[in-house]
Amino acid sequence: MNPAALIQRGLARRYRAEKRFKAYGLTAIVCGVGFLVFLLGTTFLNGYTALLQTYIAVDISIFDSDFDGDLGPESLSKGDYPGIIKRSLREAFPEATKRREKNELYRLVSSGAQYELLEKVVENPDLVGKTTTFWLLADDEVDVYMKGRIDPAVPEKNRRLKDRSIAWIEQLRNQDRIKRSFNILFFTNGDSREPEQAGIIGAVMGSVFTILVTMLLAFPIGVAAAIYLQEFARKNRFTDLIEVNINNLAAVPSIIFGLLGLAIFLNFFHMPRSIPLVGGMVLALMTLPTIIISSRAALGAVPPSIREAALGVGASPVQTVLHHVLPLAMPGMLTGTIIGLAQALGETAPLLVIGMVAFIVDIPGSPMDPGTALPVQIYLWADSPERAFVERTSAAIMVLLLFLVAINGLIVLLRKKFERHW
Amino acid sequence: MNQTASDIPEPIERNISEDPLNDPNYKTVGEVTSPNAAMTTKNVNVHYGNKQAIFNVSLDVGKNEVLAMIGPSGCGKSTFIRCLNRMNDTIDACRIEGDIRLEGEDIYSRNMDVVLLRARVGMVFQKPNPFPKSVYDNVAYGVNLHGLSSTKSGLDDIVEDALKRAGLWDEVSDRLDQPGTGLSGGQQQRLCIARAIAISPEIILMDEPCSALDPIATAKIEELIDELSKRYSICIVTHSMQQAARVSQRTAYFHLGKLIEVGATDIIFTNPSHRLTEGYITGRFG
Ligand SMILES: Nc1ncnc2c1ncn2[C@@H]1O[C@H](COP(=O)(O)OP(=O)(O)OP(=O)(O)O)[C@@H](O)[C@H]1O
Ligand SMILES: [Mg+2]
Repeated sequence: MNPAALIQRGLARRYRAEKRFKAYGLTAIVCGVGFLVFLLGTTFLNGYTALLQTYIAVDISIFDSDFDGDLGPESLSKGDYPGIIKRSLREAFPEATKRREKNELYRLVSSGAQYELLEKVVENPDLVGKTTTFWLLADDEVDVYMKGRIDPAVPEKNRRLKDRSIAWIEQLRNQDRIKRSFNILFFTNGDSREPEQAGIIGAVMGSVFTILVTMLLAFPIGVAAAIYLQEFARKNRFTDLIEVNINNLAAVPSIIFGLLGLAIFLNFFHMPRSIPLVGGMVLALMTLPTIIISSRAALGAVPPSIREAALGVGASPVQTVLHHVLPLAMPGMLTGTIIGLAQALGETAPLLVIGMVAFIVDIPGSPMDPGTALPVQIYLWADSPERAFVERTSAAIMVLLLFLVAINGLIVLLRKKFERHW
Repeated sequence: MNQTASDIPEPIERNISEDPLNDPNYKTVGEVTSPNAAMTTKNVNVHYGNKQAIFNVSLDVGKNEVLAMIGPSGCGKSTFIRCLNRMNDTIDACRIEGDIRLEGEDIYSRNMDVVLLRARVGMVFQKPNPFPKSVYDNVAYGVNLHGLSSTKSGLDDIVEDALKRAGLWDEVSDRLDQPGTGLSGGQQQRLCIARAIAISPEIILMDEPCSALDPIATAKIEELIDELSKRYSICIVTHSMQQAARVSQRTAYFHLGKLIEVGATDIIFTNPSHRLTEGYITGRFG
């Protein structure tokens, strides 16, 4: 048989194998995309309602007698606002007479409503002595009910929102005194025990500071280490040992880095707990191996002829690296940095160990202020029993993903800037 | 040796070792020194790890001379030429012994500055390797690096002059800001030559500069070498014996790490003394 006929005979089998291989690949991609769509879909469906928040309209009468003294800013800010709100609610629903009923009535409105009222009154003292309609922040249970997530058919003892409250809410709804509007508090508040007052910005700022510290530490140190190891260090036992250790460090579970941070930064150097600076330092330790390994690979991929060209015209080794090798390796180094930072951004365990899991209401204004981070916030909210935290957890996940996309976008832009052809 | 009916004349020197490859004290045939040397090398040995690549080579490069190095592949021509501007320093496993002097200064001594050495001894590589920068920046890089021009217009002049001498100016004068890597192979090689001559070296080392070029580009570069030899000393490694014959005044023949024979080019090609040289140039091996 001649070779052409032999080849011909095998062709059908080879094409079949090719088709099969394509089918496997396609299946894998479809599965992957399917899971991704499912994940993003459920997150979005659970989370988009967190963008809306329920408010209740209450006619509030404020009297001089609610304040001690001269009605100056001082005395206005010390008024009995909880009392004012309670009184107004009793007036709106006079049928609540028993103590239990009254307490249930008061709970329709968030405990945070008094601060909003306080602000408005201090801003505008003319409100004293008048009756005005205010939209007060509703309690989280009311909000959840309004979003249709509480089934009134469930036996009363199995839900926290009782029948009486539901009747009041329906009454308010009929009077058009209950509305849902954009949940600005979610984007301007720090964490809170009350879901309706809990916001994400504290965690966002915590994450921003943490990642900033991580990036500022890990990128220059990682790149410098990679350049030294790849371009300058002589190959010997010692550098081999370092290389093996770096590769191993990349595989060490992140919580170990947390414990290391706890032992060194907190216990030995006595740095404060819960601050993004320490969090960033711990995550930088964790990210370093990734950045070093990928940077070395990027440096190794630069053609040696470029190095020879530079050395040949009399550039010193450092000039050769800085002028020619580093710019060509930069895109690859930035890719490694994206991977490292994305990992760091989603890291929870080491931050728990160094105390960034504390309940912190204040929004951190610097890396030295106690704070938490987005993944830790997600963990905290996912762990909370209140129904209203479910949607906030999903919303926080969306914020984290957006954050990730933003960082990746930034680095891709940087990479585009450095990308060159040779 | 069979001399009957042979037009190869009897070797002049009588002490030629018949088996230079196994003779540790082999002495190169011909005059290795030069009365007017720019660079001298004495008893150079080069090892890559345990493997010796150059055996006891002594060879001078005369001023304004074009010295061609020929020999079969793997015989150590690149290794030797790279010793002359210490490019081998970048190879960890490479160990160099011997005495190499530029204008009487030992280039491997502590006092020798490698950066200065490489500025004085320029190099053009076998594969064109322009920087991934513009044509202008390719040539200007070395000039800026060594601070050879303090003004922009002075720099412009140097770049233009270098490109003109490399015979590239007419082809690239309207696209100086285009990437140097976008030029054709021959143009890239001439760009690399322009880059090397822009810093006015004393010696230019060329390692097979035409191996990737067509005959026209090769002819241009050979013309350029002729032109350059008025000002510089040039060492050129080549696989083309015609090229060696055309451009060089002296030729050195290497074989398995040993310098077998050195002599005036016309003599080497018409009347070699050693049978290995003869074998190579008549094409019996190599
Ligand atoms: N970096 C290196 N490490 C180890 N051995 C090397 C190295 N470079 C060259 N050699 C060895 O040294 C010897 C001489 O090599 P060299 O490159 O100098 O030959 P060459 O004469 O330039 O050959 P060609 O004409 O093919 O370029 C060869 O046997 C080669 O295998
Ligand atoms: Mg070679």
